[in-house]
Amino acid sequence: MNYMPGTASLIQDIDKKHLVLLRDGRTLIGYLRSIDQFANLVLHQTVERIHVGKKYGDIPRGIFVVRGENVVLLGEIDLEKESDTPLQQVSIEEILEEQRVEQQAKQESEKLKVQALKERGLSIPRADTLDEY
Amino acid sequence: MFRYQSLEDCPLDEDEDAFQTLGEEDEDIDQFNDDTFGAGAIDDDWQEAHERLAELEDKPATARELEDGAVSDEMELLGHHEENLAERLSKLVIENELEDPAIMQAVQTQPPMQQPGGLNSSIWDGSAVLRRFRGPLLTQEMPSVSVLEYAMPQRPPQSQEDDRDLSERALPRRSSSPIIGSPPVRAVPIGTPPKQATVPNFNQQNSSLLGHPFPPSVTPVFTHLQRAQLLGGAQAGRMSPSQFARVSGLVCSPLTSMNPKLLQGRVGQMMPPASRFRAFFGAPPPPAPPPSQQQHPLCPGSHLQNLRPHPQVFRPDTTHLHPQHRRLLHQRQQQNRTQHRSLNGSAGDRAGHRSSHHEQLRKDPYANLMLQREKDWVSKIQMMQLQSTDPYLDDFYYQNYFQKLEKVSAAEEMHGDGPKKERTKLITPQVAKLEHAYKPVQFEGSLGKLTVSSVNNPRKMIDAVVTSRSEDDETKEKQVRDKRRQTLVTIEKTYSLLLDVEDYERRYLLSLEGERPALMEERKQKICDMYDNLRGKTPGQERPSDDHFVQIMCIRKGKRMVARILPFLSTEQAADILMATARNLPFLIKKDAQDEVLLCLLRPFSLVLYHLPSGTVTSLLQQLANLPQSATVPAPANLHLAAVLQNKFGLSLLYLVLSRGEELQNSSAAVELMQDNQWTELMSMATRELLRIPEAALAKPVSTPSNLLSLFSRYVDQQKLNVLETKLQLVQGIR
Repeated sequence: MNYMPGTASLIQDIDKKHLVLLRDGRTLIGYLRSIDQFANLVLHQTVERIHVGKKYGDIPRGIFVVRGENVVLLGEIDLEKESDTPLQQVSIEEILEEQRVEQQAKQESEKLKVQALKERGLSIPRADTLDEY
Repeated sequence: MFRYQSLEDCPLDEDEDAFQTLGEEDEDIDQFNDDTFGAGAIDDDWQEAHERLAELEDKPATARELEDGAVSDEMELLGHHEENLAERLSKLVIENELEDPAIMQAVQTQPPMQQPGGLNSSIWDGSAVLRRFRGPLLTQEMPSVSVLEYAMPQRPPQSQEDDRDLSERALPRRSSSPIIGSPPVRAVPIGTPPKQATVPNFNQQNSSLLGHPFPPSVTPVFTHLQRAQLLGGAQAGRMSPSQFARVSGLVCSPLTSMNPKLLQGRVGQMMPPASRFRAFFGAPPPPAPPPSQQQHPLCPGSHLQNLRPHPQVFRPDTTHLHPQHRRLLHQRQQQNRTQHRSLNGSAGDRAGHRSSHHEQLRKDPYANLMLQREKDWVSKIQMMQLQSTDPYLDDFYYQNYFQKLEKVSAAEEMHGDGPKKERTKLITPQVAKLEHAYKPVQFEGSLGKLTVSSVNNPRKMIDAVVTSRSEDDETKEKQVRDKRRQTLVTIEKTYSLLLDVEDYERRYLLSLEGERPALMEERKQKICDMYDNLRGKTPGQERPSDDHFVQIMCIRKGKRMVARILPFLSTEQAADILMATARNLPFLIKKDAQDEVLLCLLRPFSLVLYHLPSGTVTSLLQQLANLPQSATVPAPANLHLAAVLQNKFGLSLLYLVLSRGEELQNSSAAVELMQDNQWTELMSMATRELLRIPEAALAKPVSTPSNLLSLFSRYVDQQKLNVLETKLQLVQGIR
């Protein structure tokens, strides 16, 4: 049954594996079980995937209910092609460690940048900490 | 549930312990004591009565299980308890004569259930409708249904069991509070074949379109959930997916409950969607139900298969199944799996990816947590959001895109053998525009009307006065800025006019005969306005200054707009524009250095040139060369022309003009041109300039017209002609 052809309707996507990117940067992978008119999602057997460089790690999370406004994009995962990736899966501890290292490096460079700008008398207004786009 | 249990409670005082586990959920049972539902009504031996009652109650029990619990069943049941009780008690006497429980069931009429709310609540009152349909369903039972009876766990075949396993009676409770993480367990376990897949007597206007119910031999194995969904979907104005195949237009049904009056108007428009709709399922439109029996089960069955899983063979939930039931269940599953596989295979292009998809769905025990009716509900909301009084206005790009697609596919169809593929098209509901006459709020007993400001009735709140700034205060910068802003505003206004004018063609097609002259008038007026905007409105007849036009042309958007407007202008107006452009070309070239948008003007310019008479062409060339009307002593170097030649657009335009002149010369009216001194003069000037300018500085034109060579040959000697040839690469071979 063809629900609303020519539009972006999520009904056809139900019970399929999806990758969901949230506004806070998290990547969730799970089976889309239910939706509503606001595109609130119910994800089943969800896994949060953390990517650092060429490595990734999966943290199993269970059932997610995502408010629709927090979704940046989502797409169906082709189960046949899913394993066909150049990325390397590592353990959770390892990926969290890698992520921490990456965050640290980013913060360092950010600090240096702000310092350099300050020396030149310029300043970049800080983004609102609540909404990180 | 507790209903019949309470009934049992009455005569079975002695066995209260046994039933306590059953009754523990409902403290209300205590309310219904022996006095109210007294033993006096029952004459029979309690054991016999109990047995018969249990058989009897199994049927409504499963009906109860069909409820999702969305409605507060308990309260309803409580309310109707007395009626049911009375009926059932009376049945106890009758039922001795009837052996077949199915027939007995048909006799029993359901108590009328209250319909909560009106049409709009149809989504959620599925349970009530379910019960209503229970009766008619069963009246049409086919032989396959007898299997169903055996399949019911609460009622194993009487020949087999004498001592009832009471714990089995407890099972239905689980449906209301499923174990977390596992799908809800129904009293009739998933996999039980339904009694009947469709119900023909839906009380809707679609009844005429309904086909037969599925013939039993091809009944797909529906899960209990599926059956519930089917029936749940069959509500006022809303059909289960299997009905969609027959009902024309997906839109019809969801909207019917919202806008019944629209349906009448829509019926006429439904037919084209209907034919497409049938194509959804890949089946040709059935001429009459009987011949299409083969296909009907195919269509909904396969798509239902798409949606609904077949459960795993072994599931912990099914352990309570009676062994015979389990066996039958497997048998049926396998039977239908092979059946549907073969059917799917014969379906052709649908078989491909769907079968693998089916496999996955079959193995997924968590599939279809979202019920069909819930999907329909969301879909309905989405369709409602698409309602529009003027889709062309609200959703322009979507409409345009699909019109283009249709044109392409129509073109393909003309070439090809026939329709290659029915592209499924979303038919958006169209709502008629309603004229709202605003009525101000009125309160009774008050004198006069209240002036309440609202969105429909805005009222002035602040008395704001617009003061224009005086000229003295402004600095030059501000003036320039203001002027630029003025130009931008003019461009925007003209652009709106342009979009309207471009849209007239479409409106023309949609309008009635009587309205068309008025439309044409409007269009003409708008074109005039556009032209006025372009050239700057002057009180008098003449247009002394190009300034306004040049300002517009300095802005990128202005240039593009002029290019779009030119086709609509009359020849004189267009020539005027051309002249103005040529006159100010060096300046425009300088300003265009960053944008490089002048080239977009070439095409409309060439079109205009084609229609120009020779005199105009000459003047045009004059403008390009920047010579005053009367011939004067030619300057050693013509800067104007030089600038023109060094710019791609300028050079291309020059070539176009020259080429046009050459064409005119070759035509019958050429005689005048030949004798025209001006033209000769201009030509010599042009050629002189072309010779003078170094080749490096010469721009590369967009295209070099082929007749330039013959043109130049008329005016220059052979030597110079050769030079020109090489310089301008006039001969094709060099390129």
